[in-house]
Amino acid sequence: MTQKSSGFFNWINSRLPIVNTYERHLSKHPVPKKVNFWYMFGALASVVLIIQIVSGIWLMFGYENTEEGAFASIEYIMRDIEYGWVIRYMHTTGASMFFAVVYLHMFRGLLYGSYHKPRELVWVFGMTIYLVMMAEGFLGYVLPYGQMSYWGAQVIISLFGAIPFIGESLEIWVRGDYYISGATISRFFALHVVALPLILIALVFMHLVALHEVGAGNPEGVDIEKHLDEDGVPLDSIPFFPYKVLNALVAIGIFGIVFSIIMFFFPEGGGYMLELANFEEANPLVTPEHIAPVWYYSPYYAMLRAVPDKLGGLVVMGAAIAILFVVPWLDRSKAASIRYKGILSKIAMTIFIISWLMLAWLGTVPVTALRTTLSIIGTIIYFAFFLLMPIYTSIEKTKPVPERL
Amino acid sequence: MEEKITTRRKVLIGMTSAVGAVGASLAVVPFIASWNPSAKAKAVGGPVKVDVSKMQVGQKIQVAWRKQPVFVIRHSKEALAGLSKVESKLDDPSSLKIDEPYRDVNPTRSTSNEYTVIAGVCTHLGCAPKYYPEMESQPWDESWVGGFFCPCHGSMFDIVGRVFKGVPAPTNLKVPPHYFDGSILIIGEERGTA
Amino acid sequence: MKKFLLVAFLLIGYQEAFAAGGAPCGDYGECDSFKPELNNIESLQLGALTFINHCYGCHSLKYSRWGRIAKDLDIPENIFNDNLVFGANVKLGDRMTGSMKPAVSETWFGIAPPDLTLVTRLHGSDWVYTYLRTFYEDSLMPYGVNNMVYPGAAMPNVLASMQGQQILSCKDVPIIASNGGVRRDEMGNDITEEKCGYLKTIQGSGTLSVQEFDKVIYNLVNFMTYVGEPSRSDRERMGWYAILFFVVFTALAYLLFREYEKDYH
Repeated sequence: MTQKSSGFFNWINSRLPIVNTYERHLSKHPVPKKVNFWYMFGALASVVLIIQIVSGIWLMFGYENTEEGAFASIEYIMRDIEYGWVIRYMHTTGASMFFAVVYLHMFRGLLYGSYHKPRELVWVFGMTIYLVMMAEGFLGYVLPYGQMSYWGAQVIISLFGAIPFIGESLEIWVRGDYYISGATISRFFALHVVALPLILIALVFMHLVALHEVGAGNPEGVDIEKHLDEDGVPLDSIPFFPYKVLNALVAIGIFGIVFSIIMFFFPEGGGYMLELANFEEANPLVTPEHIAPVWYYSPYYAMLRAVPDKLGGLVVMGAAIAILFVVPWLDRSKAASIRYKGILSKIAMTIFIISWLMLAWLGTVPVTALRTTLSIIGTIIYFAFFLLMPIYTSIEKTKPVPERL
Repeated sequence: MEEKITTRRKVLIGMTSAVGAVGASLAVVPFIASWNPSAKAKAVGGPVKVDVSKMQVGQKIQVAWRKQPVFVIRHSKEALAGLSKVESKLDDPSSLKIDEPYRDVNPTRSTSNEYTVIAGVCTHLGCAPKYYPEMESQPWDESWVGGFFCPCHGSMFDIVGRVFKGVPAPTNLKVPPHYFDGSILIIGEERGTA
Repeated sequence: MKKFLLVAFLLIGYQEAFAAGGAPCGDYGECDSFKPELNNIESLQLGALTFINHCYGCHSLKYSRWGRIAKDLDIPENIFNDNLVFGANVKLGDRMTGSMKPAVSETWFGIAPPDLTLVTRLHGSDWVYTYLRTFYEDSLMPYGVNNMVYPGAAMPNVLASMQGQQILSCKDVPIIASNGGVRRDEMGNDITEEKCGYLKTIQGSGTLSVQEFDKVIYNLVNFMTYVGEPSRSDRERMGWYAILFFVVFTALAYLLFREYEKDYH
């Protein structure tokens, strides 16, 4: 940005670092010049975050956080408020899209080793965001107080009961009642619309600050900081504005097409995004025939069901998330990107993807003996992928990583 | 690496921005429209019916329409005859400044030659004016001839809601849409429309 | 290894084929498919009429408002008021809360008839369409009828006068041989066996033919599908514009991106 002659602008800028911040984090921020579509999901995730915040605020205008009024207020939004259905479907589609985009973003991280030194903290902040998102999604799903909201929450809150000694009283404390009642809804509502979004935004901020400190990675795993021009800018980089912005615009456009198709034509997502049983008001006396989580929790739900022990299931599910945090220290490979890793890593990654998808499917279908066996196999593969990572990444032969991008 | 601004780039930037701006402004529509009264509010705010045949001459009743006061006054012939006498005190005796729905039909300003139907919302800042029908000296006006006085900021109106000169209220009290079906007064819609 | 995987997949596939559990439409098996026509105003109007006359006596549509239906279905308000609105003091803005007190109906049916606003979204329109057409006579049931989709349903067949008597019957069906063809005897005739559990309508016992009755139910379920999500036809219409917008935007953004990409490629 050139020197602005305006006195007022200078006055502000000498007190608030507008120009500096803008140049450092936006206009001149250097990004690798060669990346692929996998590197677009971070930008898309922030777009969805904004969609969720705005549509969420608008939903609050019509939503009623009481046991008697919650379910009817959703139909009030869908019918009586002008374009209320646009806002609601935007939010429900946004929730699924948020997870879809974040899963792809995380997978990109695994694929190209985005957590490699010096980006460990970026990964850890990202994982914390994912954890908060899972809580946020769960709380939000309870709010309509449909049958699936009720029984899904019943199942998840009962997990607290698995904790030795304090479990049972903890369950009651979380609900604030002996069943999932208005008391539960109003606290879940406050957490969903204020507390967790605040934490989420703070974490996203940290994620980005940490990222901009160390710079974005690339699919080759090349360290572009090694070759700088006379101004100290990496030779293999382009400024964020306008180049990266244009890249993002294309991604946002394509994402908009996908989002519109789902939101306007398949808002129920075949029952995986809005479960059909949730079109019936919660009835604490009648359990629906088949309780399945929405698709984005299903792999972990499958793991929970694979373990024939209440506490054990909880521990396994928790460990499945926890282990993701330490991936930067499990991967001992010299190469960050899968492109230059050895055959063992490639095989492990392939098996991992297949088993994760299988678990995702298993989490949505009713249990049978065979499916339980498959869930156990999937769970073992899931953990083996991470726990064996220090071994297979250090014994395999990697290809040399190029100097330049 | 040099960022060149060619004509092609300018045209493309212009087109992309224009399309983006159109999309953004359309996307805003649902968010703005959702602030309008919902179907529920419209249902609650639907027309109300009152039987006015039991009203005494000179009596004023208050009806809630859209949770707002509407005053219905049954005037005596003498009171209506006296309306023209106060015109010198009024700011806008013929309601020319506002969109008067039943202009020049009746001196009552309503569709009836006996009843006045006016919104009990002061045109100054929205307080509900009080009705003082007696022709007697009042603290705010020694030569009070009867009418409405707003306690909030001292605006004065005559018995059919026409505003006095020299008071904060800018215009006459509004006449809501209404019609009479025999002795039933329907406030909130015009005859024939539904 | 490959062989092992193949066997494993076949095994899983075979088991999965039988793991599906109960069929979606109960004893009836797969539901009859239902394709709504939400822009077919005449069908929706006829469906609304059937609903008000035959269902609304017991079932409410409590999230829906009278006036919205009149407006969406292009029914002039005076005609709507005279022919459809149920109850003297009902205003067009009111919700369709039903005409029966829940306590009364509970003593009649043992269970309060459920609100039907969202029934097509809960069970699917296919299910409702099939359910309403699969009542059959069963003297063991309190109302003398049972239902194939939802056995033990606590609901009389209110449309029986139109449909006529429907009974479960048996008929001869060809035996399918293991090779997939019809098994034949030495004379070349198909070998058949008697199978039961087929619905059969006794001809002439109702005021409508089977086709006419199906049409009535079609219109009814079409209306119920509309009530389940009254904004659905708007939604699908707007969807095309949204997609069109993003396609144009993406195309332009892509051209711009390609143009600027020249700077660093």
